[in-house]
Amino acid sequence: MRSVRPLVFLVALSGVWCGLLLHAQEGPLPSILIARQLAEIEGLAVGDTVELATDAQGGMARTFHVAGIYEPTPDPMRLGETPREVRLHLPDLLELTRDESTPAGTEYVEAINVALVDPSDAQAFSERLNATIPGLVARPTSGAAGSGSTFVVLERFHLAIAAVTILASTVFLLALTIMLVDERREAVGMLRLIGLPARRILMQVLLEGLLIASSGAVFGLVLARASEYLINTFFQWRYDTALIFVRVTPEVAAVCVAIAVPLGAAATVTASWALLRRSGLRLARR
Amino acid sequence: MNALGFAWRSLVRQPARATLGILGVAAVGALLFDMLLLSEGLVISMRELLDRMGFEIRVTATDQLPGRGPDILDAAAVASSIATLPSVRSVMTMRTEDATIEQSDGTELRASLLGAGGESLRPWTVLRGRDVSGQREIVVNDYASRTLGVEPDATVTLRASCAGGAEAPPPMEFRIVGVAEFPFDTPGASELGTTASALAAACGAEAESSADFIVVQSTGDADAAAGEISALRPDLRPFTNDQAIGQMERGGFTYFRQISSVLTTVTLSFAMLLITVLLTVSVNQRLGEVAALRALGFSRRRVVLDVLCESALIVGIGGILSLPLGMLLAMWLDKILKGMPGIPTSLHFFVFEPQALWMHAALLAATAILAALYPMRIVARLPIAATLRNEVIG
Repeated sequence: MRSVRPLVFLVALSGVWCGLLLHAQEGPLPSILIARQLAEIEGLAVGDTVELATDAQGGMARTFHVAGIYEPTPDPMRLGETPREVRLHLPDLLELTRDESTPAGTEYVEAINVALVDPSDAQAFSERLNATIPGLVARPTSGAAGSGSTFVVLERFHLAIAAVTILASTVFLLALTIMLVDERREAVGMLRLIGLPARRILMQVLLEGLLIASSGAVFGLVLARASEYLINTFFQWRYDTALIFVRVTPEVAAVCVAIAVPLGAAATVTASWALLRRSGLRLARR
Repeated sequence: MNALGFAWRSLVRQPARATLGILGVAAVGALLFDMLLLSEGLVISMRELLDRMGFEIRVTATDQLPGRGPDILDAAAVASSIATLPSVRSVMTMRTEDATIEQSDGTELRASLLGAGGESLRPWTVLRGRDVSGQREIVVNDYASRTLGVEPDATVTLRASCAGGAEAPPPMEFRIVGVAEFPFDTPGASELGTTASALAAACGAEAESSADFIVVQSTGDADAAAGEISALRPDLRPFTNDQAIGQMERGGFTYFRQISSVLTTVTLSFAMLLITVLLTVSVNQRLGEVAALRALGFSRRRVVLDVLCESALIVGIGGILSLPLGMLLAMWLDKILKGMPGIPTSLHFFVFEPQALWMHAALLAATAILAALYPMRIVARLPIAATLRNEVIG
């Protein structure tokens, strides 16, 4: 029999979650699920028996049968922490943690998850519950954290970084297009001298800019897709988690293209504009 | 004219492209500077915060950092036994529970109630009024004082919510004796401080029973004190400030270090690529000019040096401009990140330290050199006669 010694665990409602999963596998001993990371650290496998206690001294320990190993739901708030978790049936958890002075059936739970028939009714349902049961706080899971939540703030931070990057790219892009346009000064001068109007040449420059910007945007998306794989693989290995760190969604790709293509075309036209205002003769002069 | 002066004239001759190149480097350099500040900022700031409290050791029941693991039982007795150790100067127990205060309009203000046990030391700094001394006395932070509209000597009715909400003792009246600053004050959060015994009473207990953690001040050697505590109580885990910071670095803090590393790499690659393109196009446009200079007697080393100096000037001027820009950007980004819930007011994500400045300069210098390599190779291998001939025929 193996013993998980300092397993002063933080299991609260997990019993509710895994109740159905464990139901079919109950044996003579109460069964539990072990987090993959904990199983690896302690060398546990399906079929083992373990003792769980609520204090470090192992007082009031109870024996459980390991019914399965599970991958914990990735939690960004606990990044870098090794999840030493087990999941029990709620009655087993209450039995294990109940104080001697607490009669069975009078224990408390920290939260109750409710699945609605119509999920869009969540707000109204929460309001009804809050109004009818004093002391109870009900709130929809979606958007519960509000605009000040960690991930909303991180998203704002990433957007700010993206804005600075776009600004720097725009400045560089302008410098490059000015140089490239300058390189073609003589060719533009010749076109003006043989009779092409400035508007016609500007249209050609715009189309060229659009083509280059579109190609660049597509290349950027391919690069982002490759980076997505590399970054996720590295960080999932680094933190031993199934969490997805980078995801290039169609919406993100659309926003990138919507910014990159007009920006590239605008930079080309802006750089060409000053050149096209000069006379053909002046441009063609060596 | 030396190479630097010559490079300067080359830049001045093309003011638009030179200005844009420098501005681009300034923007990229500002981002790079901020990422360097971010990589260590949180750790430095947290260390300062912990050091400012004056306690070098935090004792917990398990390997979990203070506030994340189970309580230390019989805390007062544990603290007394630790206080007897020769390397320990003072000991204080810390316990935090949720509480609500009844406001004059009938609504309730949610607050965090900190109970400090032990000697006369307290983790907070009294700003107005006096410190707690007897039962049923509390100090409040400035936010709570303003929200409640109360000053020292006012009385409030407080209801503690103990053991994670499992225990709901009856409300008690407390006298506010002072307004204090708490080390981990967060914006828009009410903090209350009292003695451990008063907190125990608010929770319906007769005496102080448990603590979230115990803080210890050593006589000078924190590691020795931590060793003695471990020997005295092997079931407890003492963390020195350095160990606590180390654990935080491996935990949540690591995210900002990783994102800083990724963005530093991306920023530098981006800068190098663009400066290389900028210089290469510029050199390609001046091949005839370079060949003429070589024909006039400029050595190969000298024309290569001209290109390197041009790169150094663009990156150098841009790098200098990037410092004030970076500081402004850091203030903006810090303000954004401090919007995260539970971040103490005095904690910062971007903290300046001289090492970041040196690292910034070194990385930009390396970028300038690497970016100039390809255009330097072009001018070094330039066939003088063929280029001049092409120039004349073209």
